[in-house]
Amino acid sequence: MSTHRLRVDWPNCKARGLCFELLPELVSLDEWGYPVVAGEVTAELLRDARAAVRACPHLALRLVPTPPG
Amino acid sequence: MSAVVVALGRRRLRIAEGPRLLAGIADGPSLEAHRRQWPAVRAVPLEQLATLAEGMQLRGRGGAGFPFATKLRTAAGRGAVVVVNVSEGEPASFKDAALALVRPHLILDGAELAASALGARTVHVVLPGEHAAVRESLLAAIAERDGGPAFRTHVADQRFVAGQARAVLELMAGRPNLPVTSWQPEAVAGHRGKPTLLSNAETYAQLAAAGALGSDGFAAIGLASEPGTTLLTLNGESEGPVVREAAFGTPWSMILAPEALNAPILVGGFHGAWLQAGALSRSEVSRAELLRLGANIGAGIVLPLAVGACPVDETARVVRYLAGESAGRCGPCLNGLPALADAMDALADGSGRERVAELTGLLPGRGACAHPDGTVRLVASLLRSFEPELDLHAAGRCGFAILRRSA
Repeated sequence: MSTHRLRVDWPNCKARGLCFELLPELVSLDEWGYPVVAGEVTAELLRDARAAVRACPHLALRLVPTPPG
Repeated sequence: MSAVVVALGRRRLRIAEGPRLLAGIADGPSLEAHRRQWPAVRAVPLEQLATLAEGMQLRGRGGAGFPFATKLRTAAGRGAVVVVNVSEGEPASFKDAALALVRPHLILDGAELAASALGARTVHVVLPGEHAAVRESLLAAIAERDGGPAFRTHVADQRFVAGQARAVLELMAGRPNLPVTSWQPEAVAGHRGKPTLLSNAETYAQLAAAGALGSDGFAAIGLASEPGTTLLTLNGESEGPVVREAAFGTPWSMILAPEALNAPILVGGFHGAWLQAGALSRSEVSRAELLRLGANIGAGIVLPLAVGACPVDETARVVRYLAGESAGRCGPCLNGLPALADAMDALADGSGRERVAELTGLLPGRGACAHPDGTVRLVASLLRSFEPELDLHAAGRCGFAILRRSA
């Protein structure tokens, strides 16, 4: 099964924090409110991860396939 | 050793005669002088060029060191674009400027070779905003050539991150010359979404040399594991920057003066790594050897610490400069680098090592470009190489300042 991870489009991220609200399992916020995204999106978190991607008001979060290797 | 001296703004740049790319530079940069030394470009099919690049182990000379053959094969596709990056945004680097001033046609030969293999009719050349003499030299060289691809020039901003690959593509697209998020490698989808071979000026010059000399001829100098030569910018000497070409395997003791070898040395520029005094004394010019020592040759910048200067103070100063060079678009860089600069000032004053460690853990991998990563790499190398010095700072003293007073 292919695996995914979250990638932030950093120049577009404006620290609104919705990703953290919706996906605290994988996203924490640094001291300035910008997301710190952890590791791989597990199968059970995939739905929530998709919701976080959709909710980002700046379209700055994407779910991408984990590169091989 | 003979050298060409060029005025570059208020600086005097010394370019030393070298074994290959910088051989015969006293004859001047004209096409006529160039052709007396280097034959006209012989087009070769893409796979043959990729095999040649693989044999010479050509890696990008802009700093990242990515294997050129991989890039070339990936960029093979409809509407491929060739970009020569001469922007050299790193202020301590002068090797691409030097090459453009004395050997512009070797850069353009390499670009022509790559363009013909990829079927690209136009070559984009990204010129530095900082040095008018470099721009003029390349423009004059382009005007001298006929046949071959059309050359289109762009002028990069005077900014540290302006030479970053995505920032260069933004400039070419008519947008601000700043990094943006890359979702795919440039070789897959670069300029206007087309496969794009974007490489540093020296990389193309090395490719041209290999095209002319052939695989065996190219490997006649250098190490078996690292054939050929590399350009270096040696800085920190009172007379200003010096660009030298060294065959891989040359002992550093033949390149650096004893006082430079016996000083802490910053290798790879402001995104590079500190090595302890004497680390290069019994070492040679080699990517592998530098990696073993914990440094990366990067774009070939070698900065010995001046007598009486302190690596902790110097790093704090460089981090403050790098913080100011943030494009200011990515939150972690915009906020994190000034915070790291503050933490470095505190560290130089003897406190706050925990804060530095916290920030160096927090910043990497969180930006459109690797500016925060490179800055953190510099700081991490300081923490690794100068532990005793940091203890002295924590105790309110500085070993280097003491040296300065006693000198």
